[in-house]
Amino acid sequence: MVFSTRASHTPRRHRRLTGWLWLALILAWPVRAEFQVEQAATTLTQSVYTLDARIDMAFSEEALEALRNGVPLTVVLDIEVTRQRRWWLDATVAHLEQRYRIWYHALSDQYLLRNLNSSAHYGFQSLGRALEALGTIEHLPLLDEELVDRRQRYEVSLRARLDIEELPSPLRPLAYVSPSWRLTSPWYTWPLQP
Amino acid sequence: MATTTLKRLLTGPYLVAVLFLLLLSSLYLMSGATQNSARFGQLYSLLLGVNLLAIFLLVGLILRHLWRLVRQLKRRAPGARLTARLMVMFVLLAVAPVTVVYYFSLQFLQRGIDSWFDLRTQQALEDALELGRTALDGRMRELLRQARQFGSVLGPVPEGSAALELNDLRASSEASEMTLLTQKGRVIAMSSADPADIVPAMPADGVLLQLQQGLDYARLEPGENGLMVRIAITITPPDASGDARVLHAIYPVADRVSRLADSVQNAFGHYKELSYLREPLKFSFILTLSLVLLLTLLSAVWAAFWSARRLVAPIRDLAEGTRAVAAGDYDTRLPTPSRDELGFLVRSFNEMTRKLAQARDEASRSQQAQEEQRAYLSAVLTRLSSGVITVGDDGMLRTANEAAAQILGSDLRFAIGQPLTALSEAHPSLEPLVSTLAAHDHEPDWRDEVILFGSRGRQLLRCQGAMLPGVGEIEGDRVVVLDDVTALIQAQRDAAWGEVARRLAHEIKNPLTPIQLSAERLRRKFLAILLPEQADILDRATHTIVQQVETMKEMVKAFSEYANTPKLNPRPLDLNGLLHEALELYKGEPRLQVELALDPELPMVEADPGRMRQVLINLIKNALEAGEPEQLVQLQVNSHCVQESACQFVEIDLMDDGPGFPEAMLGTLFEPYVTSKVKGTGLGLAIVKKIIEEHGGMIWASNASPRGARMLIRLPVKTRHPHPTGGTTHPLGDPKQAE
Repeated sequence: MVFSTRASHTPRRHRRLTGWLWLALILAWPVRAEFQVEQAATTLTQSVYTLDARIDMAFSEEALEALRNGVPLTVVLDIEVTRQRRWWLDATVAHLEQRYRIWYHALSDQYLLRNLNSSAHYGFQSLGRALEALGTIEHLPLLDEELVDRRQRYEVSLRARLDIEELPSPLRPLAYVSPSWRLTSPWYTWPLQP
Repeated sequence: MATTTLKRLLTGPYLVAVLFLLLLSSLYLMSGATQNSARFGQLYSLLLGVNLLAIFLLVGLILRHLWRLVRQLKRRAPGARLTARLMVMFVLLAVAPVTVVYYFSLQFLQRGIDSWFDLRTQQALEDALELGRTALDGRMRELLRQARQFGSVLGPVPEGSAALELNDLRASSEASEMTLLTQKGRVIAMSSADPADIVPAMPADGVLLQLQQGLDYARLEPGENGLMVRIAITITPPDASGDARVLHAIYPVADRVSRLADSVQNAFGHYKELSYLREPLKFSFILTLSLVLLLTLLSAVWAAFWSARRLVAPIRDLAEGTRAVAAGDYDTRLPTPSRDELGFLVRSFNEMTRKLAQARDEASRSQQAQEEQRAYLSAVLTRLSSGVITVGDDGMLRTANEAAAQILGSDLRFAIGQPLTALSEAHPSLEPLVSTLAAHDHEPDWRDEVILFGSRGRQLLRCQGAMLPGVGEIEGDRVVVLDDVTALIQAQRDAAWGEVARRLAHEIKNPLTPIQLSAERLRRKFLAILLPEQADILDRATHTIVQQVETMKEMVKAFSEYANTPKLNPRPLDLNGLLHEALELYKGEPRLQVELALDPELPMVEADPGRMRQVLINLIKNALEAGEPEQLVQLQVNSHCVQESACQFVEIDLMDDGPGFPEAMLGTLFEPYVTSKVKGTGLGLAIVKKIIEEHGGMIWASNASPRGARMLIRLPVKTRHPHPTGGTTHPLGDPKQAE
């Protein structure tokens, strides 16, 4: 009889343990970096630092499915320039947020890309092209040379992420909890060089 | 003032109402956000968060309430069980309908959303889209053909005049903009319908790439201002030496067509998106619905707690108040909760306790008044020189005042509540009083005199009894007033006899001397001159007169002695010694034979030795005179001490062997002028009795068996200890006890 009670306990505890493990896994799962900054660099042209970067905009299958079904997706590029401070937290010198929206236009069978900051508008016949264009940043003016003190050390950080708040509201609760919607690249950081 | 108002607003039901309103509005906004993403889309996440927070808050509040309730239940606090029952009832009432509504809402929701989507609609939209595409495709082909014609025109035109030619061509067509470029992308010329537009719209890299592959580009593109057709063609030079050129033209789609196409596109896009979002939409509707219902439910549960607590509060107060009243605390006042029936109940309770308190105060006041009355009466009774006792219907002693205890010579406090017979058992000296009281039982009004003989000697009590008027417990009780009239009677008697003696002396004794003198004078004067036989008569007559007058004088003298009582001069006296002394006087009397039996341990008494000697001599003389002349008189003299309850007496017993008292005289033996003797004044025993009584003693006369008279004298032994009832104490008491 003693064994039977213990036996009855074990599976339950096991199940509960598994449940906790799952929960821990979901919470602690490193956000699957679907987006990935492959390379990024700054150049000083005409006394303005400009950014060139290549980002692998690898959307999850769910996101692509939504895109194909006419759901517009908004991608945000977060760019931060920080001044290194030895004894204190780094100071943020500049913060840029570039927003892009990509959506499918059924009538013309095109993927349209719009830079929400500049309202520049592009059409692409294939999704691959559109994503490539989305992931290619050229000559993005970042910082005036005047603002940079040559004696200090500066760092530039870049990341790309899918803006969940711009999703249609029915998708949002799901997007909050599903890892396949949390598409955020890790910060890519490099020293600011002319 | 302002802070208290604020506090009241923050703690009272106002806050709850405000919170509920906020919650409701957030729920409304959320449902709006779910249905129309454009309106509240931005707020959706915030609302979701707010509502989730509210749920957590409510769950926390409910858990706190529950925990409190469980603790109260465990503690068996008043009202806790009622609260729990009400709570369960309220919660059930709230949960049941909400659950039903939830279930059916879910059903409707699923079906409702599914019913939005229809295959035929979808097909129709797809067809519309296809139709639009076809229509636009035809237009595009036309424009492409036109562009090719333009290309053939523009091909040989030198670069210098290209702009003009291009402008002409553009003006002849519907193109909004035309650009001529080299294959590498260099602009040769451009023309735009908008003169302000000086920057050419460059074809995208993909377009040029396509052209390089030898394919012309013609495509519908959604532009900034509606739909447009972008056409790019390669113009092959007429001669092989020239560079290939590219003609890039943008044609706006006719306004109406564009609008229709947009409409189709929008409808299709929306429908597609919606159908893709079908499941997420359901999920989010269900989520919203669940949130709404959960919030409602939790609010209802919380409200149930709150209202149950509020409802039960006066009942709990009542329970506590009742408990307090049961414990005797009538000062409990409950807060009046409202104007409803509960409020009425609470008000009635307050009224009841107030009246109870009033009644209690009244009772205690009247009790106090009664107590004061009793104290007053008791003070009066204590100061009263008369003893007052009350006796119950059952013969129990109920009350006795101080004076009664003093008169009766015993502490009556211990006898209260005891039957009178117990009193007489404890104090045999009180037996006459008890029997007198018993004899007058149930007489409404009576008077009597009782003679007691206790430690304080002989006492004459005048008793007056009456039934007490009264009902209930004291019905049938009697009150008896006792007056110690010993001294009064004595004084009255003394005064009476003194008056008699004075009269006798004045009225009788005074004429006696002239009578005697006259008789002697007659005798002296006529005895010598009368004839012998006459002289003999005179001699005898005068002799008789003188003798009788002498006798009368003696009699008056004796009476004066009896009446004029000299002041007693008491001192400690050894009665045995006094007896010896008195008998010594009769040593020469041959007829007297004395048998002495004296107690050597006899205590001293307080007495006047001269008076006591007179008593003893009187009694011995009486014994001698009672016997026949020339015959021996046997006299037994005893002395002993008698202990009766707390009193000590000395008894002297004198017994002769004479003829005894005639039975008829025994009752009046000690009255003056009662005698069985031929000689004597008849005052002997009266004087004896008077002296003994003056000493607080008693004397009894009886006939001894087989013959002879017996006189028993009892004198109190005064102890040094003060009597509990305040009896007088002589400094020289019993020598034995003084040791």
